[in-house]
Amino acid sequence: MLQIKNISKTFNPNSINEKRALNNLSLTLNDGDFVTIIGGNGAGKSTLLNAIAGTWFVDSGQIILDEVDVTNLAEHQRAKFLGRVFQDPMMGTAANMQIEENLALANRRGAKRGLSWQIKPEEKQHFIEMLKLLNLGLENRLTSKVGLLSGGQRQALTLLMATLQKPKLLLLDEHTAALDPKTAKIVLDLTEELIKKNSLTAFMVTHNMRDALKYGNRLIMMNEGKIILDVSGKEKEKLTINDLLELFNENGELNDSIVLS
Amino acid sequence: MLTFSSLLRALPGNVAQGMIWGIMALGLYVTYKILNFSDLTVDGSFSTGAAVGVMLIINGVPALLAVIIAFLVGCIAGLITGLLHTVLKIAPILSGILTQIALYSINLHILGNKANQAVNVNEYHLLLSLRDTNKSILVALLFAIALMLILYWFFGTELGSAIRATGSNEQMAKAQGININLMKVTALALSNGIVALGGALLAQYQGFADVSVGRGAIVIGLAAIIIGTVVVGANKKEHNFLLLLGSAVIGGVIYYIFIGIVLWLKLPTNDMKLFTAIIVAIFLSLPHLKIKKKEKKDATN
Amino acid sequence: MKKLFLILLACLMLAACGSKNEDGEKTYNVGVLQLVQHAALDSATQGFKDALKDKLGDRVVFDEQNASGDPTNCSIISNQFVANNVDLIFANATPALQAAATATGDIPIVATSVTSFAAALGINDWNGTTGINVTGTSDLAVGALKKQAEQIVELFPEAKKVAIIFSSAEANSVAQAEEIEVYLEELGLQSARYTFSDSNDIAQVAFNACEWADVVFAPTDNAIASYASADQFSKPVIAGEEGICKRIGVATVSLSYYQIGYKAGEMAYDILENGKDPATLPVLEENEMSKMYNAALCEKFNVEVPADYIEVK
Repeated sequence: MLQIKNISKTFNPNSINEKRALNNLSLTLNDGDFVTIIGGNGAGKSTLLNAIAGTWFVDSGQIILDEVDVTNLAEHQRAKFLGRVFQDPMMGTAANMQIEENLALANRRGAKRGLSWQIKPEEKQHFIEMLKLLNLGLENRLTSKVGLLSGGQRQALTLLMATLQKPKLLLLDEHTAALDPKTAKIVLDLTEELIKKNSLTAFMVTHNMRDALKYGNRLIMMNEGKIILDVSGKEKEKLTINDLLELFNENGELNDSIVLS
Repeated sequence: MLTFSSLLRALPGNVAQGMIWGIMALGLYVTYKILNFSDLTVDGSFSTGAAVGVMLIINGVPALLAVIIAFLVGCIAGLITGLLHTVLKIAPILSGILTQIALYSINLHILGNKANQAVNVNEYHLLLSLRDTNKSILVALLFAIALMLILYWFFGTELGSAIRATGSNEQMAKAQGININLMKVTALALSNGIVALGGALLAQYQGFADVSVGRGAIVIGLAAIIIGTVVVGANKKEHNFLLLLGSAVIGGVIYYIFIGIVLWLKLPTNDMKLFTAIIVAIFLSLPHLKIKKKEKKDATN
Repeated sequence: MKKLFLILLACLMLAACGSKNEDGEKTYNVGVLQLVQHAALDSATQGFKDALKDKLGDRVVFDEQNASGDPTNCSIISNQFVANNVDLIFANATPALQAAATATGDIPIVATSVTSFAAALGINDWNGTTGINVTGTSDLAVGALKKQAEQIVELFPEAKKVAIIFSSAEANSVAQAEEIEVYLEELGLQSARYTFSDSNDIAQVAFNACEWADVVFAPTDNAIASYASADQFSKPVIAGEEGICKRIGVATVSLSYYQIGYKAGEMAYDILENGKDPATLPVLEENEMSKMYNAALCEKFNVEVPADYIEVK
């Protein structure tokens, strides 16, 4: 499904702020993998997701998505393969457009946009059914501006938008970090449900070790732009928080946010 | 001479001119409100539209066709600003200023290396003219309505909604596979096309194109949008897009009625620009003052 | 709503009666439309008003409006004049004339500070009259530099060396310098250029020029017009135009905007009182240039002013 071959990325090269964010990283994902990624601040978790999404180009290496080499594709060109949910609930939706308009935009992800009407009548029914799944009552507010929704509602909507057209890969970048615990739980459960229902391949960056252990079939731990742990299946199920903490300690990367979470 | 009737008799002319500037404001609306891009190209492209329109008419091109060609030339001006910004990565305001400066020279060339070119209403068949203000209002109104309907339709299409998404949230737009650079260039071209169309109409209305006719156009355009927003109350609630567009045209009309009143009151014309600034400042601050008043009221309750 | 309508109606009827003349003689309302606040245009407007006041006394009322440099304001002002049904419009500068001529085909328009009426009105077969409700005076100034070179000889017969001082950044000044150098040579005078590109250097350059020359010539140059001062020059200066003469020059030969405004005022009088038709009243295109002098500076340099000179005000 996804093959990452020896990618590296250095920010602010040749300056005092030089930072090697990805260091010769390789990774292969199988169809249906739901991978959780943990690691300390600056470990390169979000950088890895951005490299796949094409926020910028990697310095070296290759990214192959379902046999398509996307290494040199621009961000909007890769979008047709990817569903994305961001940490900031404001990032994934257009605030001053209506709910149905946002969904219609997502429904055409990667497609050519011409001069036909932005929402087809038959789409509307589909949107209503999908919104019902969220259990937030949004199906009755199709023409409300998204800016009027709460953070949790917007994040749930973004999640729906990311999966409306089945993506080859779903990228979740700490998408519950800005939400209160209760809402975070709802959004996470919804995430799992959507992934299962559509049998998606997904990456989920998280700061929360419990979530990292609870969700997904595979867990990756990163440090200094490298993968330092990659466990899946039975092995992952056996993993405990203490195991993870020990690993962090070994790498001198224990920080407050991880301990507290 | 300070009779109310003279103010009334001057009204049609003020309305006609305001409506033409309202059409220009429709163009500005595309970049300022929809794309969220402060485009200073308009001072230049407005003059370009005036220059192209007049030169074509005096060379025998029918006035309506001249206006349409002025639109297309305006699109090219916007395209250049768009390319400066998206390809050469120059900041929005600077991109617009660069094109605006360049257009000054280009407009002089279009005008045959003169600063001013007349288009005499006695000799050419013009769409509208200060000579017949009632007809001018009608023609300007038809153009405004046609443009509003076209914009309403366009921004309801897939392409138009992609432009709106780009203006609302670039990151989201990119994540939905929208080529935001293409959207910006498209919107800038469309915007400056409409602005140039407004210039071509104004040149016919006043009977000449002048290289400095667009100087300060952005201020008048913004004033029209802001006044319209306040008067229609468009910032309060979710409003129909057609009404929002209409508010820009209405704002242009109100602006020129105000200018008419300033003239009618015989206020010293040396202070005209000062009055203009005060009018715009009042309308800009109105929504804020209203909120404050409401807060006070809520606090006392 | 009904009340408002009635009030409007009443106002309309009041206005329809109009302003009646007091002692049987008609009082004229004249709309004055000037493009921008500018010394030359201001003088022209003053000349126009003075002429009409000289002829009509207090039987003329001016409605003075200035477009503040914005050509589109000319339309809104013209529209106001037409709505007020003024008796005549005075249009000062080209866009003012164009807007006024577009606004009305009936009310007489007298214009000035317009270089070419044919170009301003888009008239292709020009025969000296407009054929429409427009006439006026042109501000065409031909041969000024030649006359200024001759003026140097007239006022300073002993002068041998003429310094030309101007900003090298102004293309127009360079062109003027090139032209007058030819005339000065023909008159047997030696000339040299003293240029600056930064207006802060004017004092130094002026000092050097005065060290070398007998007389200084300052062409129509924006930097000089704005930044030079009389005490920077220890030698007399002949100026390229009225405004610079007023600032630093002893004399100039220049088109007088006051004069072309005054002549336009006389034409307006002919139209208003004598029933002349602007369509057939020829546009005054040949302008006499006036020799002018700056009284204070002439005294300073002991220049004897010939009788045909007028004082710069």
